[in-house]
Amino acid sequence: MNAMAELCAEQGYEATKIADIVRCAGVARKTLYDNFDGKEEVFLATFDNAVNEAFGRIDEACEAAENEWDDRVAAGLRAFLLYIAENPATARTCLIEAMSATPAASARYDDALQRFVALLRRHAPADVGLPDTIEETLVGGVAWILHQQIRRGGAEQALDLTPELLDFLLAPYHGVAKLRP
Amino acid sequence: MERLPRGRHGLSPEFVAQNQRERLIAGLTDALYEVGYQNTTVSLIGQRASVSKSDFYKHFGSKDDCFFAAYEAAIERIRGQVREACAKHPPGEWPPRMRDGISSLLTLLAGDPALASLSLVEGLRAGRGVYDRYQTAVESFVPYLRNGAPMPPSGGIVPRATDEAVVGGIASLLGRRVLAGEAEQIDELLPDVLEFALTPYLGATEARRIISAG
Repeated sequence: MNAMAELCAEQGYEATKIADIVRCAGVARKTLYDNFDGKEEVFLATFDNAVNEAFGRIDEACEAAENEWDDRVAAGLRAFLLYIAENPATARTCLIEAMSATPAASARYDDALQRFVALLRRHAPADVGLPDTIEETLVGGVAWILHQQIRRGGAEQALDLTPELLDFLLAPYHGVAKLRP
Repeated sequence: MERLPRGRHGLSPEFVAQNQRERLIAGLTDALYEVGYQNTTVSLIGQRASVSKSDFYKHFGSKDDCFFAAYEAAIERIRGQVREACAKHPPGEWPPRMRDGISSLLTLLAGDPALASLSLVEGLRAGRGVYDRYQTAVESFVPYLRNGAPMPPSGGIVPRATDEAVVGGIASLLGRRVLAGEAEQIDELLPDVLEFALTPYLGATEARRIISAG
């Protein structure tokens, strides 16, 4: 799966062949087929693995944070950006390649996006009069900025985006909080 | 699109070629909406457009070529609509310009789900070459937001990343609705999208006031 992440990040899903994966991973073709049905299976497993690991780290960071909701969101965002910075190839494969690799991969990508939406909903204040779609647009906006950062080859510097992204994520909630008496 | 009459019709070869090309683009757009990128074949596009396979290859080298042409045409149509709506207001009238720009965007997409799907969903799914175009297309909407945008009430300037995140966030939300099969209801999102777009620049109070003023 590491080989898959590396190769896809470098040359894209389309161009990555089973032969490249086994060579890069240093395993026999048979070993790969003992574990996976084929290339798509390897890709999906790589994706699921990475998403679960990233979410594990995010959840842990949120739990460990102060009690205020915005501290938890900040900790979660930082943990996610750190994961991207530490795993640039996986980040590229999962955030960019996954969208278009295969229909099953795009579906996983959408599910993962939905998990982020649900996560933000869980931590952010509810019933404050913001549009129901606010978490979807915020998550979509953050994903968009991350795509651009990764495509520019800046995954390792993802943490530099923390102040701007955090401000973008929190501003709507802080803005309406000021409206209340 | 209607096909042209058969036989002698007195239409110039250029006209026929242009018409065929437009029909193929429309055929691909419809096919994509119905069966997705992977299942859209050259034969299916030809069938939808009533253009033979050999004529298809006179216009496009491959399915991807046709896709790129359709994609560019779709984005140009959307951008043209937004540009026109924005042009009704001088740059100083930023909030009404935003309202009309966003409203025209949502109305166009809601009225043409195949266009919405091509521009917002398939553009992300058709592979590397297309994603570059999606990115360029989404970015090309940033100036409509940025031009004339006021300084935020909290002081300072809105960072460029916010402009991009606002536009990218809207594109993502709309794409999700199209994927959920709710393209036709996209225009109902106007208050949500407008509030999301105005708030970073005007603050929550002013954005609310404008939206509730209708």
